[in-house]
Amino acid sequence: MHFKWKRLGENALFLSPSIILTAALGIYPLLWMLRYMFYDYAGYGDPLFVGLDNFRLLMRDGLFWESVGNTFIYAGGKLLLTLPLSLLLAVILNSKLRGGNLLRGIYFMPTIISTAVISVVFYNIFNSYNGMVNTVLMKLHLISQPIDWLGPKYAMLTVIIVAVWGAVGNYMLLFLAGLQSIPQDLYESAAIDGANAARRFWSITLPMLAPVAQMVIMLAIIASLKGYESIMLITEGGPIGKTEVMYLYLYKLLFPVSTGSPVEQQLGYGSAVGFATAVIVGAITGLYFLLSRKMNKLY
Amino acid sequence: MRKKWSSLVLCLLLIAAIAAGCSGNGNNNGNGAAANGNSEGSTATSSTETGTPVQLKYWTDDRHDQEYIKELINKFNETNEDNIQVELTVMSENYTQSVDIAFSSNQAPDVLRLKSANTAGFVKKGYLAPIDEYLTDDLKAKFGNLLIDDVNRFEGKVYSLANTGLTLRLVYNKDLFAKAGIENPPVSLQEMVDAAKQITEVGKAEGIYGFALNFKNPKQAFDRSIREILSLSGYQGLGFDLKTGQFDFAPYSQVVEYFKQMYNDGSILPGAEALDIDPLRAQFAAGKIGMYLSFSTEPGVYQDQFPTEINWGGALAPTLDGQIKGTSEIVSAGTWLGISAQSANKEAAWKFMQYMYGDEVLKTYHEKGFGIAIVPSIVEQAKDPEIGGMEGFLVGEHDSLWPASPNVTPEGSTYADAFFKYILEGGDVKAITDDLNTRYNAALSKAVEKGEVTVTPNPAFDPAKPQGE
Repeated sequence: MHFKWKRLGENALFLSPSIILTAALGIYPLLWMLRYMFYDYAGYGDPLFVGLDNFRLLMRDGLFWESVGNTFIYAGGKLLLTLPLSLLLAVILNSKLRGGNLLRGIYFMPTIISTAVISVVFYNIFNSYNGMVNTVLMKLHLISQPIDWLGPKYAMLTVIIVAVWGAVGNYMLLFLAGLQSIPQDLYESAAIDGANAARRFWSITLPMLAPVAQMVIMLAIIASLKGYESIMLITEGGPIGKTEVMYLYLYKLLFPVSTGSPVEQQLGYGSAVGFATAVIVGAITGLYFLLSRKMNKLY
Repeated sequence: MRKKWSSLVLCLLLIAAIAAGCSGNGNNNGNGAAANGNSEGSTATSSTETGTPVQLKYWTDDRHDQEYIKELINKFNETNEDNIQVELTVMSENYTQSVDIAFSSNQAPDVLRLKSANTAGFVKKGYLAPIDEYLTDDLKAKFGNLLIDDVNRFEGKVYSLANTGLTLRLVYNKDLFAKAGIENPPVSLQEMVDAAKQITEVGKAEGIYGFALNFKNPKQAFDRSIREILSLSGYQGLGFDLKTGQFDFAPYSQVVEYFKQMYNDGSILPGAEALDIDPLRAQFAAGKIGMYLSFSTEPGVYQDQFPTEINWGGALAPTLDGQIKGTSEIVSAGTWLGISAQSANKEAAWKFMQYMYGDEVLKTYHEKGFGIAIVPSIVEQAKDPEIGGMEGFLVGEHDSLWPASPNVTPEGSTYADAFFKYILEGGDVKAITDDLNTRYNAALSKAVEKGEVTVTPNPAFDPAKPQGE
């Protein structure tokens, strides 16, 4: 197919909406951020050029690095639980199960429910004074004292559970799509050759699913590194910063939470932190691609 | 050929659709905010149509008083002789952002509701017009001692006037106190610690605990508790020393020790670390919490939001040693309405403001319980509001406004986060305090250097008379 100069006008017309929207909503804000990370700017008055000061501050900002550490714990925990679970569900639902479609719908439901609703529900399930979990555990005499699920010790575990609950259905569906693209005759001939179910899973399902899995895992990594909404609603990063992940830290710099006494926006420093978080997420994703490049060529 | 034409027409249609979509978005910038508000609130306009009326827009984020304000505006629209029509927009959340968007797109309202948390920012951003030229001698006499630097007066110019303020009190469950054999609300922090312990001992089996605060956001929790304990004990409540003009968190750390004691005793509601103020109120209304500290908004909350059977009351906050050496700070006071610098009808806006600041309006506002009057002449005239529990919150001899303390952003954690961490995990309180002093004072010098903040030490400052009268 060679380029037709005659159709240049038409092509340009068709492309222009997405180019304009990308430029206005994607590239412009990005350039804005790249500029302001060298400024001290609180949202009013003249921005003050400070060179690399924001990055120096970033290097010694213990709270930020703590939030990076928390992000790894949160993302790691979420991935370790979500991926195997969603693959397992996908494999089960891929077999001809009665009511399979209904179950698919049910498992996918959390994906379409608003995070705000999920967070309120889970707060009511886990809060320690009248939450459902403690009530049930105490009724069953498994514990004598209420467990502080949202306290410093368990808050991270709790927000990971919420995140897993919200994500499993989504990745299950993606895995399911991958599974359904595997030709049935492979299984049939393997069965004739005497391969049992475990063997078929190990030697056919997994390798055939690898290219899809590579993408799914990448999406899951990015989503878990960037996730902060439910944490913001359930613990607001607390208690004492135990669930403060980097995107929540960034959000608070750009949109300070305040009532009563004023809190200042830090747009300059926030931009620098935004840049750093993007680099971290980008680096991890890049590293993942490097390590997983073989997944694409497994068969 | 026909094909070519039809594809061209399709192209043009597509562009038109996109353009319409874009321009729609553009408008949303300004009106989106208003629409936001409308969804929550309401619009009040009257239809006296004689000549072309001067149209004023009034934006507020107060929802608790909207019916009354609507009534006032309708009355103003019908009765004013200058043919002014005011349109009320009640915003929901994100008021400040909505105002920002409105000003940046030249669609600002003429009159704005100002609160102490947003006024300084609005002035710095150049949103507000000074009202000095309108202030008559009568008005100066009425509001004179309520004009405070960095609250409603900035660099010598007045931008708003006071109406009401919030007092802060210890809110306590009288039934639980009686059950634990405690006669009176605590006047010292030691008494508070003891009372919390006793209530917990008696009630724990039923899930009742002596004390709670909304520690999900430690700053919000401390700024409604320690702030008041300190100001009544004779210290500025946010860690600033008005005498030296420097931050000194030493008194703050003393109060924190008592909070830590309550935590160690197990007297604080489990799960308070993740508690928001409304779930806390729900638990208090259910009789599960002995006491907490909060604003004079609580009586209204227990009347409408969480109606309760429990017998509760408000009392002055306890002090460090049981002695009252200062005054309980009235917060969110000193501002109510202001005029936009972008308004084309500032005169008319002022006429509306004058009407709203009239004695009758301010008096009724207090009597209906929408806020506690702090304008002296109104306090004298107005009857007590008829809301259960409000009697404990009314402005009395131990309440007053305090000078504003500078707002700075330190590097690292805030005082609230640092002290809350100490409460939960312990540590060296002296080192934490020193570190906070160093970081806050460094941020203060930086802000002074940049000209964002001015600090005038007042060695003669008397916490018993913070306004110097």
